[in-house]
Amino acid sequence: MIEEKRYLQPRSIAETIAMADAQQSDFRFIAGGTDLMVNKFQENENSSCLIDLFGVEELKEMTSDESFLYIGALTTLDELKKHPLIVQQFKVLIEAAEAVATPVIRKTATLGGNILCENRCIFYNQSKWWRDAVGNCLKCEGNICIATGSKKHCYSEFVSDTAIALISMDAMIEFVDHNGSHKIALHKIFSGDGVHPVNLNKSSLIKSIILPLNQNFKSVFYKLRLRESMDFTSLTTVVTKNKEGKWNIVLGGVDPKPVLIHGNKESDHAEWIQQALKNSRAIDNEVFSRKYRRKMIQVYLKRSFDIIEKTQY
Amino acid sequence: MDKLKITVNQNEHELLIGVHDTLSSVLRKHLGLTGTKIGCEQGSCGACTVLLNDQPVLSCITPALRCHNANITTIEGLAQQGELELLQIKFVEKGAIQCGFCTSGMVLTSYDFIKKNPNATVDEIKLALSGNLCRCTGYKKIIEAVSETIHIQNHPGYQTLPNKTSKDIVGVGRPYIEATKKVRGSAEFADDIQMKNVLHCTFLRSPYPHATIEAIDKTAAESLNGVKYVLTGEELPIQFGVLPISQDETALAIHKVRYAGEIVAAVAAESEELAIKACELIKVRYKPLHPFLEIDDSLNDIGTNEKIHSHTKFNNNIHKKAELRFGDQQLALSNSDVRSKMNFEFRGVNHGFTEPHAAIAYWDDNGLTIHTATQVPHYLHRALAKVLEVPLSKVRVIKPYIGGGFGGKSDPFPHEIIISFLAKKTGRPVKVRLNREEVFLCNHGRHPSVITMEIGATNEGKLTAIDTGIAIDGGAYGSFGVVTSYYNGVLLQAPYEIDNLGFKTLRVYTNKPQSGAMRGHGAVNSRFAMETLMDELAIKLNIDPCELRLKNFMTSNVFTIGKFRITSNGSRESLLKVMEQSGWKERHGNLSFGHGLGVGCGFFISGSALPIIWNELPQSTVHLKVDFDGRILISSGSSDIGQGSDTMLAMIVAEVLSISMDKIYVLAGDTLMTPVDLGSYSSRVTFMAGNAAKTAAENLKHEIVTAIAKKFNIEAAELNCYDEKIVSNNKTLELSWNEAIDCVTANRGAITVSGKYISPKLGGDFKGAGAGLSPSYSFGAVIAEVKVDVETGLVKVINIWGAHDCGKAINPLAVEGQLEGSWHMGMGQALSEQMTYFNGLLLNSNFLNYKIPTSMDTPPIYTNIIESEDPEGPFGAKECGEGALHPVIPAIANAIYNAIGVRITKLPINPEDILNQLNQTATTTMIKENFSIESEIQ
Repeated sequence: MIEEKRYLQPRSIAETIAMADAQQSDFRFIAGGTDLMVNKFQENENSSCLIDLFGVEELKEMTSDESFLYIGALTTLDELKKHPLIVQQFKVLIEAAEAVATPVIRKTATLGGNILCENRCIFYNQSKWWRDAVGNCLKCEGNICIATGSKKHCYSEFVSDTAIALISMDAMIEFVDHNGSHKIALHKIFSGDGVHPVNLNKSSLIKSIILPLNQNFKSVFYKLRLRESMDFTSLTTVVTKNKEGKWNIVLGGVDPKPVLIHGNKESDHAEWIQQALKNSRAIDNEVFSRKYRRKMIQVYLKRSFDIIEKTQY
Repeated sequence: MDKLKITVNQNEHELLIGVHDTLSSVLRKHLGLTGTKIGCEQGSCGACTVLLNDQPVLSCITPALRCHNANITTIEGLAQQGELELLQIKFVEKGAIQCGFCTSGMVLTSYDFIKKNPNATVDEIKLALSGNLCRCTGYKKIIEAVSETIHIQNHPGYQTLPNKTSKDIVGVGRPYIEATKKVRGSAEFADDIQMKNVLHCTFLRSPYPHATIEAIDKTAAESLNGVKYVLTGEELPIQFGVLPISQDETALAIHKVRYAGEIVAAVAAESEELAIKACELIKVRYKPLHPFLEIDDSLNDIGTNEKIHSHTKFNNNIHKKAELRFGDQQLALSNSDVRSKMNFEFRGVNHGFTEPHAAIAYWDDNGLTIHTATQVPHYLHRALAKVLEVPLSKVRVIKPYIGGGFGGKSDPFPHEIIISFLAKKTGRPVKVRLNREEVFLCNHGRHPSVITMEIGATNEGKLTAIDTGIAIDGGAYGSFGVVTSYYNGVLLQAPYEIDNLGFKTLRVYTNKPQSGAMRGHGAVNSRFAMETLMDELAIKLNIDPCELRLKNFMTSNVFTIGKFRITSNGSRESLLKVMEQSGWKERHGNLSFGHGLGVGCGFFISGSALPIIWNELPQSTVHLKVDFDGRILISSGSSDIGQGSDTMLAMIVAEVLSISMDKIYVLAGDTLMTPVDLGSYSSRVTFMAGNAAKTAAENLKHEIVTAIAKKFNIEAAELNCYDEKIVSNNKTLELSWNEAIDCVTANRGAITVSGKYISPKLGGDFKGAGAGLSPSYSFGAVIAEVKVDVETGLVKVINIWGAHDCGKAINPLAVEGQLEGSWHMGMGQALSEQMTYFNGLLLNSNFLNYKIPTSMDTPPIYTNIIESEDPEGPFGAKECGEGALHPVIPAIANAIYNAIGVRITKLPINPEDILNQLNQTATTTMIKENFSIESEIQ
């Protein structure tokens, strides 16, 4: 029996959570939908019920207090650059957002959606016909990773550029579920498992992204891609130094989750690069080879360190 | 189903739609607003862009129900009361519209952008449009259209130059005659055609690259309510192929499949969704065979494995061997002062036209009619008659507007045959549209190739010999492959004088989607090799690479070693032009490390002198009809696929008769209504159909002046067409156009005249002498400027200066568009495009992973038209649509060598290869001193 398709359009967070709880497991939240709808076309996403968050105004609010900026999860990537606080204090977030997809997509794609952008792999992001032909992989309910032959681990890549920037600036998220509202460091929601890359419960809703104010962040952003628009990342690096001299080195596109290295003043840059390489489980599953991307980790990080060191406080 | 209330172009609608339907499908299927185009269905081409509450969105990935109570503007809603927006006018005027398939999305994206950024710079425009792919224009004219709109909006008094009067037609750039239709979104492409009672066809495709089909069970699919026919291969057993010598394909696989993606079954059903569902219910039992996926696999003896095609001669998968030798290459090489030899490797590339294949077919008392996205209605006409076993007189092929072809719509395709068959079996119209993945699986793109080439020269820099061995990967079927095999070699015999030329090409079958003809057919890769070796030779000889080329160029009016007749030849002028414009002499060799200039030259046929199917029909026939109203109907079987050939025909006729373009109507590409033209391939249309149109117009002129001469008792030779009048030399007689038409139609009625083009007999009398013969050849040169990041190996093209000898630009605006599009496409093959496979499965069959350069990747392009006035071309014209592609790729590669000393021998250029080579060359020493990369840790 084919399950009846549904499309729900809640108006508030409470209504959204209630709707989600009322569903069987077969539902998905849809924010901008620019990622989800493509996965749906390729039948990687087959939920019969879509809960469209577009009408939930609470998710679009941007507020701040003395210590934090709260960016509504439904803020579009294009809107980020219009907020003075972001422009002044979190410029690298804008840089990362502007590196996502294309200008038109950025008018629909949301920050929350981009953070939760489905992990990617050349052997997964294919049509159903293709995946059936190759033999389904771990990420589409098969029993083997096509890229590595592993029977256990899926290495689909984490590809959100904005998450990398946010994590480098110690971002937290506030999410809501039927138990109420919770805060957690952004990097902690990512599991490292390519099949289920996000730890959050399916009916949890990211309400806002929280950034600490007045940290005097110095950040450098790089994204490796063949074309200057449209392409998903093959390697995103953001290196951020805060006013206390604490460094965050974050990498995307080279592991099922963001790779985060903390550094302090005394540490040696070369050591951070070694750590970054050690923690990146890049495989040959996209346009650039594993070997090349690992080489680029070194190049990008070294460049980032040099730029930040040369930046005057 | 759910209810959707939506306001589209200020009209309110209440619709019942599928709850997960996309906005694009609602607009097209429910509201018939087919100006919104579907190019990829995955948000990566931009063709479907519409405005949702004044924000651009990609309607193919926008859930329709999200638009409940929303306002949508589609391209149809932009012009108010029929008046085009300024932006639309500029798109038309500036030649920003070629095939027109990306136009709706481009216009709406730009429209929104300009509104919100009224002072945008060119760089900002480029960025704004970087999600809208265009395969025709290289974006240059689109950016100009947007830029000029902004300028005019900010300078209300600003006037653009008015169009010249009707006296000037040939040589004056003008928009395509259908450009306004395209910018309004009203031009109908194949998938836009709507018919009553239509069935939808979808396909089941093989998951195996090479397998025997043991059994097909279609009972479950057939029993599905709404399924009208389930077709398998044995019902269409007759083989076809574009070339008479490779009729090796059937519409659906019979007994075995030869590539993953080959059609195994087809379903006609009441809806597309139902047809897809039925396909899933068809059970096929395959027995996998050893697949041959690489050139080497297919060259070698296959032992006890099964061949891909049983008809090949030996125990391997070689399809064709083409070899020609002029002079003694090895002797000449051994006597040469310097020699250069390299091995090259090229991945396959795809045309990447924005409009997916689509067609609709039906039968009535007149037989079969099919509207289909084809470049060559004539060859499809023949193939349909053959495979369906109906008389030629019962087949009608109509070409609607085509969203680009570039060679990829020039073969008869299985889907065209299948829906024609299904339409007959079901007695109903059947339509099909391929999704983007299926388009890539059809392929017929450029052959993956491996080439070894050696050239020699004297110390003075005079070329002595070229010797080359080439293997090309044809994929599963023949297509144009035999021609491709020859073109790889014969198109080396110009533009440089050469006395010793030899080549051997082996085309192999592999278990991959078939290769075929693509813009610059056959010669792109071998000419890359040649131009790279020229660069290497220049270094060995310590001669400037441009000087070396200038030393070796052929002149006009000569024969090549293989008996090509070169008439006009603008090689020298082309190269000198780009040298001057790029500041070559001052800058080449004087740029900093990582920054370089490179050059490449090329030439191409201006229409194949021989037809594919041997017969004595002219290559092109054009009919003109004029009736009492004075309007001329041009009918021609030629295929305007976005390159502007309809406009070219109209301009030629208007020029000869000195009438304005608005007195002309072009009917083209309809095998019932128009006389045969062989189609849009081999860059033949301007030269051949243009000549036929010119002759037809001259014949009409003769009829008109003869009638007037008789009536007014004046010598016909005294009469001229001038400015919409017929005027006698002594000015005593002056008739308006309509008076003249009254005169010629009196007691006779409508006049019909005909013009034709037959190529002169050309070429030698050896086997293979016909390959590459053309009544004329185009020539060109490109200089590219690049910057290479020596730490990442990434290449950025900074500038492209191109010059192309097209004989005479009948429509300079269109010629520029063709050149810019060619250079852009070449840049794609150079830097980012390739078809990659995994176990025979195509890995990148979408526009996200098949990387056509976006506007952001496209550098400033400086376009130069060189006019050498060909003695046989219409008004001196020859080709401009393909040949320009050749020189740009080696120009980029040679610029990289100039920048960093790394020789590029593989396409696409891979930054990783660049880094590896950099590490091996001495030039990196100084970089390494300043920058040490930690060794890879595992």
